[in-house]
Amino acid sequence: MYKAVVIGGSAGSFQVITKILSSLPKDFPLPVLLSLHRLKHVRSGFVEALSIKSKIPIVEPYDKETIKPGRGYLAPSNYHMYVELNKRIALSTEEPVNHSRPSIDLTFETAAQAYRDKIIGIILSGANRDGAHGLKKLKQLGGTAIVQDPNECQVRTMTEASLKLTSVDHIFTTQQIINFLLKLK
Amino acid sequence: MVLTDQEVNYFINTIRNTSSYDFSEYSEKSLKRRLQKILIDNNMDLVALINKLKTNKDFLEKIVKDITVNTTELFRDPQIWQTLRYRILPKFSGNRNINIWHAGCSTGQEVYSMMILLNEMGMLDKAKIFASDLNTDALEAAKKGIYKYRFNIGYLDNFDKVIKENPYNYDEYNDVSYDKYFKIDKVTDTIAINDFLKKKPIFRQHDLVQGGNLYFAKFDLILCRNVIIYFKYSLQNKVFKLFHDHLYTNGYLVLGMHETMLGEITSRFEKKGQAYRKK
Repeated sequence: MYKAVVIGGSAGSFQVITKILSSLPKDFPLPVLLSLHRLKHVRSGFVEALSIKSKIPIVEPYDKETIKPGRGYLAPSNYHMYVELNKRIALSTEEPVNHSRPSIDLTFETAAQAYRDKIIGIILSGANRDGAHGLKKLKQLGGTAIVQDPNECQVRTMTEASLKLTSVDHIFTTQQIINFLLKLK
Repeated sequence: MVLTDQEVNYFINTIRNTSSYDFSEYSEKSLKRRLQKILIDNNMDLVALINKLKTNKDFLEKIVKDITVNTTELFRDPQIWQTLRYRILPKFSGNRNINIWHAGCSTGQEVYSMMILLNEMGMLDKAKIFASDLNTDALEAAKKGIYKYRFNIGYLDNFDKVIKENPYNYDEYNDVSYDKYFKIDKVTDTIAINDFLKKKPIFRQHDLVQGGNLYFAKFDLILCRNVIIYFKYSLQNKVFKLFHDHLYTNGYLVLGMHETMLGEITSRFEKKGQAYRKK
């Protein structure tokens, strides 16, 4: 029944993301939208680093690219990544939101509007509050909201901000997130 | 404040009926976001905004400027500049003239980056530089050529990668001083472009939606980077057609790092990375 997964992460999320991506099978039935903050000076090489362990292909999409199942779409460095209602990627260089570009909030909010109750949103470790509003919108529109267990996070600020704003469906460890995703058909 | 699609359409129609601007083929998500931001910044609701747009021309012009996005940097995406330096511009080095159009030049950083590169390649004198944008405030800033230095952004790293280093030959290093092209003032946090560069470009207001060729010229190279991401597919294709019409055969169109050409128009270009050569 689900049509997409959207994941937001910041400081301390890289290993978690890598672990999740390495656990998904090649024929994973959904697209995985990734809105991840990166350090200012590390602008390239990120997609390659994620691709090493991932069995699904990871791309930094082009603007207007059609979203397909079984692929990972990483918000390109220095762009916001939106989902249009026709399930295409839209990129933007508008000013950073809460000092972030990509903004996790914007990816979550637009993905939620496109996929309504057919999306799973996952917020991971991070040192800021980005993603909290986006996850709230996603939950309001009927999506399934998951937050990484703050006790497991390297930096718990982002997950706690999300939990404060939204009553989520699940608080999961990395392994539980993986188990949940593997059960999807 | 969350706007419905109908409300956004109401705004689009008002602009279209009271001015020459037309946002109906702009990307929905970013247009909606810009409009929401405008309402918050002006502390207005949509009805009040629309009423003021209908009666106040200056206000309308200001709102049109606020809709446009003006992100740009010196030597943004060094890979593209390296491609220009070592793969594209050398093809024109034997020409008597080279015409370059920066379509959607914003505040001009890309224009000056190009001229710095051309000067290092000994091609600046034969170049004609045309630069256009919808936003006249951005054009005025482009003419002034004074930018926030913001040392943490990495402009100088990009300058070094494009101007000093050669990715195809690691032994090569050109020790070009920044002073040759701009003055950095850390107290006022500014980079000021040197006068000899500022004199050269022909800056003009131009709306890609309306099309037309404001320079009555053909071009060897058109740069249009991170502009068409704000357009719907239908408008993108019109703009590509416009560029095709105004390029010389074997001229190049260069897009942003994450922009691409789709559909039938692609058959009229040969794609090489972010550069499209007109067949």
